[in-house]
Amino acid sequence: MKFLRNLIEKQRKLYHGKDSKLHKLWPLFDSAETFLFAPEHRTGPQRVHVRDYVDLKRVMNAVIIALLPCLLWAIWNTGAQHFHAWAKFGVGKEYVAGWLQALFPPTVAEPSAFDFVIFGLQRMLPILIVSYGVGLGIEVFFSIIRKEEVSEGYLVSGMLIALIVPASIPLWQLALGVAFAVVLGKEVFGGTGMNIFNPAMLVRAFLFFSFAGQISGDAVWAAGNQAPTGVPGYLVDGYSSPTALAVVKQATTNASDALQAAYTHADLFFGNMTGSAGEMSKLAVLLGAAYLIFTGIGSWRVMLAGVLSLVASAFLIKFASGAETGPISLLPYEHLLCGGFLFGIVFMATDPVSSPETNLGKWIYGALIGFVTILVRTINPAYPEGTMLAILLMNAFAPGIDHFVVAANQKRRMARA
Amino acid sequence: MTAMIALMSDESLPSVFLRSVFVENILLSFFLGMCSYLAVSKRVDSAVGLGIAVVFVQVLTLPMNWVLQTYVLSEGALAWAGFPESDLSYLTFLTFIASIAAVVQVVEMAVDKFSPKLYAALGIFLPLIAVNCAILGGSLFMVERKYTFAQAATYGVGSGLGWAIAIISMATIRWRMRTAHVPGPLKGLGITFITTGLVAMAFMTFSGI
Repeated sequence: MKFLRNLIEKQRKLYHGKDSKLHKLWPLFDSAETFLFAPEHRTGPQRVHVRDYVDLKRVMNAVIIALLPCLLWAIWNTGAQHFHAWAKFGVGKEYVAGWLQALFPPTVAEPSAFDFVIFGLQRMLPILIVSYGVGLGIEVFFSIIRKEEVSEGYLVSGMLIALIVPASIPLWQLALGVAFAVVLGKEVFGGTGMNIFNPAMLVRAFLFFSFAGQISGDAVWAAGNQAPTGVPGYLVDGYSSPTALAVVKQATTNASDALQAAYTHADLFFGNMTGSAGEMSKLAVLLGAAYLIFTGIGSWRVMLAGVLSLVASAFLIKFASGAETGPISLLPYEHLLCGGFLFGIVFMATDPVSSPETNLGKWIYGALIGFVTILVRTINPAYPEGTMLAILLMNAFAPGIDHFVVAANQKRRMARA
Repeated sequence: MTAMIALMSDESLPSVFLRSVFVENILLSFFLGMCSYLAVSKRVDSAVGLGIAVVFVQVLTLPMNWVLQTYVLSEGALAWAGFPESDLSYLTFLTFIASIAAVVQVVEMAVDKFSPKLYAALGIFLPLIAVNCAILGGSLFMVERKYTFAQAATYGVGSGLGWAIAIISMATIRWRMRTAHVPGPLKGLGITFITTGLVAMAFMTFSGI
């Protein structure tokens, strides 16, 4: 630590001060310093000054820690699903190893846990690198041009983005989506803390509407190795496996039976299934949620309201319609086990920037996300999953919810006075 | 289930209403009525006022234009007056614009006379929306989709409400963005257009229902 501190102090004069050589790159230096050490800037000596070491960077680090179980599971499961798919569809074909597998050759016939992890790393590392590289690159570029400090909001977004896309996503599409969301969803609004929409959700929505073939359907969820000749790339040739919600959507009989024929409840809970990279394991999400609630960083109000509302809306729609077949017939609690709702409500909806600030507003916001998710899942034939769009839609209404909650509060207090 | 399907079929009134508010939101999926939307969404209270005024005018003009369309303008509509071959549909635009302007004018005077308080809140917005393309657009959609009278009235409430929701949410978003450090060239209209695009993307939640 001492060594790092000394190194930074030596470099400081290169960047600090208007005439210094590399003053243009000051935001970069500043962000590196405050990332490593809690800053000691204070206001003048005579003023009251409240200090807390839990600044934005520390908050972001806490969210990253909460995301680690999901990331670890994503790495493991990407490998597991790959070899599972290969065992079914690779018979008689020659196995082409990827760049990391060239160093640690897998035993294809009987892959070990180590082989799973190697394949997972081989696929997840490039996704993380592209997500962070493109996003942070744009952030730093904007900070230098606009002469602002580089802020850390993207540390979490970059990780979230890697976890909510299919592991087979072509990297150029990911880069395009990230560039769209960071420039048009965040930087033009003034950067971290000013955006209206959650950038990670915007990336996914952009990819969803622009490249539907690579982010939805049954074929994209297991990553492969073959060097792609055109789109879709990185798939196991010929393999297709519907996600839990796709099974539910296509069910012509009772959806709950159809779901259990495809996946057991334990599979759904522990995440032994196909889906976007990080959202499958409900256990990993719950661990993250517990950490966020314990540290007070994620809003438990949003999470609780979302979960309660999801189950209640599913219950109401199921019993009001009396449907025995089709997606409406899924048991209410099974909606929690399918798809990305838990991940979305824990990590996306609690984003303090794009959600309401008032406590009552948070309840309303979470409840509406749960309700709209159920609406899309049950009665919109176009999409199997509604979490992403529900959160984006409520992002658009979050300032409105806040405004009217505050106005009602003012009115109540005026009447009392 | 059958009740649900009947509810969701295209012609039923709840379906016409929900479609016009969310799925085919007149502002966010057709981008009609943009000029007053951009100009008046600066303040939340004026946005609420204009939103209510649009609902008000839609509710009045759509049924009236339906009557005009069915009994005067469309092909063979004048059969009741003894002209079964008449086809005045080339006059649709002109008639609708005139009737909307007339209704707005009459309503404005009536409100001024009977409820000065409401006039103070709504009055300045009423002439503004006489030329709002969301109003004319609503009437023309009604013709194109061959709505019945009840459907036209429902569509009036729904499309007006959809427009009101869009402008109020945009006004609150702009209220929140008042402290945002938006790049100079994008301040004002630029960022509002970008935000509108993103909100429209979020509204694609309902497309397909």
